[in-house]
Amino acid sequence: MYKTEVLLEVKDLKTYFFTDDGVVKAVDGVSFTIHKGEVLGLVGESGCGKSVASLSIMRLVDAPGKIIGGEIIFKGEDLLKKTPEEMRKIRGAEIGMIFQEPMTSLNPVYTIGNQISEAILVHQDIGGEEAKKRTIELLNLVGIPEPERRFNQYPHEMSGGMRQRVMIAMAMSSNPDLLISDEATTALDVTIQAQILELMKDLQKKTGMAILFITHDLAIIAEMADSVAVTYTGKIVEYSDVRTVFKNPKHQYTYGLLMSVPSLVAVETKVELPAIEGMVPNPYHMPQGCHFNPRCPFATETCRKEMPELKELEQQHLVRCLHPVQASKEVV
Amino acid sequence: MRTYLTRRILQLIPVIIGATLIAFFILSLVSDPFAAMIENPKIKLADIVRLKHQWGFDLPIYLRFFKWFGSVVVGNWGPSLLYPGYSAREVIFRALPITLQVMSLEFIFSILLSIPLGAISALKQYSKTDYSLTLFSFFGMSMPTFWFGLMMMIVFSVWLKRPSGVPLLPPGGIQTPGMESAAFLPRMLDRGQYLIMPVIVLSLFSVGGWVRYMRSFMLEVLHQDYLRTARAKGLTERTVIYKHAFRNALIPIITLIALSFPGIVSGAAITEYVFNIPGMGRLVLSAELKNDFPTAMIALTLSTILVVIANLAADVVYSIVDPRIRYS
Repeated sequence: MYKTEVLLEVKDLKTYFFTDDGVVKAVDGVSFTIHKGEVLGLVGESGCGKSVASLSIMRLVDAPGKIIGGEIIFKGEDLLKKTPEEMRKIRGAEIGMIFQEPMTSLNPVYTIGNQISEAILVHQDIGGEEAKKRTIELLNLVGIPEPERRFNQYPHEMSGGMRQRVMIAMAMSSNPDLLISDEATTALDVTIQAQILELMKDLQKKTGMAILFITHDLAIIAEMADSVAVTYTGKIVEYSDVRTVFKNPKHQYTYGLLMSVPSLVAVETKVELPAIEGMVPNPYHMPQGCHFNPRCPFATETCRKEMPELKELEQQHLVRCLHPVQASKEVV
Repeated sequence: MRTYLTRRILQLIPVIIGATLIAFFILSLVSDPFAAMIENPKIKLADIVRLKHQWGFDLPIYLRFFKWFGSVVVGNWGPSLLYPGYSAREVIFRALPITLQVMSLEFIFSILLSIPLGAISALKQYSKTDYSLTLFSFFGMSMPTFWFGLMMMIVFSVWLKRPSGVPLLPPGGIQTPGMESAAFLPRMLDRGQYLIMPVIVLSLFSVGGWVRYMRSFMLEVLHQDYLRTARAKGLTERTVIYKHAFRNALIPIITLIALSFPGIVSGAAITEYVFNIPGMGRLVLSAELKNDFPTAMIALTLSTILVVIANLAADVVYSIVDPRIRYS
């Protein structure tokens, strides 16, 4: 994997939601590392804690959610030990974030120029004119045509793809070292999605920033990421570089996910598309032992009793499974 | 925008005529202003017949409406039957300034109080502050004004006295006798004493409701994605709340303000009775009860005009504060 300097190290992060119906362990002991310039894909089904993990890094988890344990070491300092004011100075400056819904993520009553320059003015010691210039540069950078005119437009005057570009410009405004993209392309249609991904890749190459890329779309991960962490019910089940995970998945869940991706070959041979049996367990009633055991064809008595550890199965390939997939199958 | 405004203003005319027409019909169903005259031995039958002709009561009702409407348009509002010897115009212009004072004070006071209180309530949702404010607003909404007015009077006019033995606040009325010709400042101070209690009683009622509205508007905005974006940008909590949340929460408040605005002219009958204030609410109520249809109709028409104008103003203000709304 990466030999460069570590940028972000999340260690045993636990974010729980304390609701009236019980405690939901949205993120339960997640650890991962992002090096400078690395793109880490965090992949998993809805409700497996991907977004909560990213919001935890920003310390933006809303009540009743609470970070109850772990460390988030960013540039050598634990973000969880920062005061709210110190944390605020990191948000938007050193860590930028873009969200899933471009339609609702921008304030409808302010122009996009206002909303981007605001992010510049809060972190950089420059005047309004300068900020406007920089905003127009940013709009140019993210590929928005006629930036001078767009500066004075409101979000409702733009398409979803344009708005997501605005969000990216906003997140990039202070040249962050880490960009968190929380399902940023999910709400967009496929052609726009491809454009936005292209843009993010391009910006990543230009600036050398690291990206934490959260998605449920395996194809995007394959396209974008250097390494990938597969999450299931708030825990990482498999973690390695993207080539290893895609070529040689070891966890039954990862294997199932990759098998259920439609392939062009399978369509020709009319093989029925396999799917993972069952449903994601109810977060209030997690199964005993390995959380995946009710859906796993290889589950044994031990799997139903104890949660396996995340172990280094091969060099740089972490898997949380007692019965890892044996054969090395080419799945995608 | 200009064509839109012109169109809307032209639309107001049929709306106002329609509303007055309905008011006129309803009022004419209720009462016969000549019933009392017939019993009055001082009024001759010939006079009644002459009045009936003069006021159009010998015509079918729809023609009578147009006769009335025509004379109102040219400025002849007719006599007041409630206060014989005065015209409806004189009666109304005596009551109107008093109501304007009471109600606009109440209006401004309620807005200034309920918007921040509602916002605080939402920002500290489920805290002790929130629960106390909720209790306070339910108290305000459910307290009958007549009862609360009387309680205020007992406390501030009966129990609490000034050293001179005079009640701390006058229990009713609108002016101390003899102050009519005083200089402006002492006259206003005198008026202020009389207004304190009615304004508090009326405000408590509207603040109660408005705090709840403002709380829910604010709560809705606080859960919007764009606030998360604002926080992710690293803005201070102050900017997040005042710039991004507050402005959006205020948009629906405009409708509420527009809805209550006509109250400035129509007054609050019950509170005016309790505090013996000679305002519009009281005047209209007694005019309606005592068959003073010229006065009642003018007052109703005034409220109608204000209702439609307030609604138009609300629509215009909407387009100013919310860039998503554009008229053409």
